[in-house]
Amino acid sequence: MGRVITYIDAITEALDQEMARDERVFLIGEDIGLYGGVFKATKGLQKKYGEYRVIDSPISENLIVGAGIGSALVGMRPVPEIQFADFVSPAMDQIVQQAAKIRYRTGGAWSVPLVVRICCGGDVGGGLYHSQMNEAWFVHCPGLKVVMPSNPHDAKGLLLAAIRDPDPVLYFEHKRLYRSVKGEVPEGDYTVPIGPAEVKKTGKDITIVAYALMLVWGMEAAEKLEKEGISCEVIDLKTLLPIDKKTILESVKKTGKALLLQEAPKTAGVMAEISAIITEEVFDYLDAPVMRLAGLDVPPIPFAPPYEKFYLPTVDRIMKKARQLKAY
Amino acid sequence: MKVAYEKPKVEKTIKSDLELTNEEKKELYALVLKSRMFDERFRKLFRAGRFAGTYFSGVGQEATAVVPCYKLLPQDFVGPSHRELGCSIARMPLRQIAAQIYARSHSPDKGKSHPCSYGYKPSNIITPAFTIGAQAVLATGVALAFKIRKEPYVALSFVGEGATAHGPWYEAVNFSAVHKLPNVFVVQNNLWGESVHARLVAAFEDFSHRAEGVGMFGVSIDGNDVLKVWETVASAIARARHGEGPTLIEMKTYRWYGHSEIDPADYRQPEEVEFWKKKDPIARYEKYLLDNRLLSPEEKKRIEAKLEAEIEEAVEYAEGGEYAPAEWALEDVYADFKVEAPDR
Ligand SMILES: Cc1ncc(C[n+]2csc(CCOP(=O)(O)OP(=O)(O)O)c2C)c(N)n1
Repeated sequence: MGRVITYIDAITEALDQEMARDERVFLIGEDIGLYGGVFKATKGLQKKYGEYRVIDSPISENLIVGAGIGSALVGMRPVPEIQFADFVSPAMDQIVQQAAKIRYRTGGAWSVPLVVRICCGGDVGGGLYHSQMNEAWFVHCPGLKVVMPSNPHDAKGLLLAAIRDPDPVLYFEHKRLYRSVKGEVPEGDYTVPIGPAEVKKTGKDITIVAYALMLVWGMEAAEKLEKEGISCEVIDLKTLLPIDKKTILESVKKTGKALLLQEAPKTAGVMAEISAIITEEVFDYLDAPVMRLAGLDVPPIPFAPPYEKFYLPTVDRIMKKARQLKAY
Repeated sequence: MKVAYEKPKVEKTIKSDLELTNEEKKELYALVLKSRMFDERFRKLFRAGRFAGTYFSGVGQEATAVVPCYKLLPQDFVGPSHRELGCSIARMPLRQIAAQIYARSHSPDKGKSHPCSYGYKPSNIITPAFTIGAQAVLATGVALAFKIRKEPYVALSFVGEGATAHGPWYEAVNFSAVHKLPNVFVVQNNLWGESVHARLVAAFEDFSHRAEGVGMFGVSIDGNDVLKVWETVASAIARARHGEGPTLIEMKTYRWYGHSEIDPADYRQPEEVEFWKKKDPIARYEKYLLDNRLLSPEEKKRIEAKLEAEIEEAVEYAEGGEYAPAEWALEDVYADFKVEAPDR
């Protein structure tokens, strides 16, 4: 058994090691320096690397991302941070019109090696402005890559891969997983490739596709369902753009049933796309309609604790849906 | 493997003398004139239906875009907007500018961007996005990189006065001021943002007031005075190179024609247009050169003839290109991931 650390420590370690290795890497964001980040993801880094490698920015999200892009154009490897995914909206123009389009609009002459770290996710009592999952906004933007780890190993490996990627990567980190998930993480340098999904558990009755918190809950549900005699294959998507169709389709061809989990509101989410891909490409293999279990189609996430519980696709709800699907 | 910056070749001393030699003054004249002649030529070509999209003329504003880019270092960075033909005239080959407008396969952007999105990597000019003002944010990031790496280069960005009402532009100038970044922010106040008058954009006449609120050095000048623009920009650039921080320069100027070539600009009074045409930056500069015998009428003719030939050559080059194969639409999305061609 190797060394076990938390998801957030894996992120800090990746940043630290990459900053030590590559002097082009710098961080910019709100409260990330002196304070070490509101969740302490960048703790100690300013002290170690100085004020111009870990930059405490004003509350200017457009600038945070846009300055990153500008610096990337002239050879830096910026890693701007968006403190909460809910506040990425002021930076939308930079992400969607600049980062995503610069390679394209210049005919490949310029590239933007940028990683925007975005802290997202619910089940933390964060309410309407500290819980959102808005990854789908960006999955609709060719030119971007979007990743979201569900465990410490991937958190470190995907972040290192993202910083070394020649194109802009949005790296979503789920705040509910920061300290609740621990796992083995190699101390040295490694990357988890951007693109491939991973089969986390093999099974024969149902394919579950998920990422981040939903993957963790999906795995928990799958273990319990196993005891009831329902065998689930669980796929961790990890990269949401570009989507690894092959891994998903191979699994669905085998099981004939797909249960897609999504924490964000249901309509036009990432799983709507996965569902479309499955029905377009392996319709003949399906033994039941593709099922989605998602957040509610309400502004995410209403605050009062009973609201939040009602909103989320919990382990119990996942199990219930899986039973329905098995019985179909 | 450890990665370090590629160490830049840094000039030991940077020439920051503001005085132009007589030869340089003539060279600058040829450049502003080139911008004017090229611009008028392409307005005609657009009207003749020779290229698609539309065209944004900068006629009347040549000094504000050409002059700041004259004599920049190759490593300096330029972030233009849609009307900044002049930046490219000063810094990139004419053929590439013409090819960009024609959107053929030999355009620097392979025809992906709309006409007047002049950008050219070898000249360190970033192809603009059309979201107004965004180039100022990028230029701020570039300047931040220069500061982090302790390099003596500057990043210039160009906007119209209209763009200064846009939030991101404000975030950029604020951050640049806080960190004393090597930026020069050029605001070309041509009185109109499309059809919206400057008085509906700011509660004051001089847009250099925008600098005060962020603690930046700001100045308003006659943008139709070539030598005044030169002097002001050259000193701002010198300040930036020596770590003294950014400068906001409002240049008062005027666009002679519509917002784009499909805009009749009938929201403006003819007297206003006439007033500003009398302040033509090129005619004024020419008069100065002739009066001071820095340029002779014969030389002027020779320059005009030479420019005309150069421009025709560029037009021929642009028109000689083909549109790229349509499948190129699938390329340049990612460096290492190919977008699938659809089955249709
Ligand atoms: C964010 C954004 N809003 C609206 C537009 C449409 N638009 C293009 S140019 C323009 C006017 C720009 O005025 P100004 O910044 O003064 O520049 P000028 O055209 O006068 O050079 C407008 C409204 C745009 N391109 N981007």
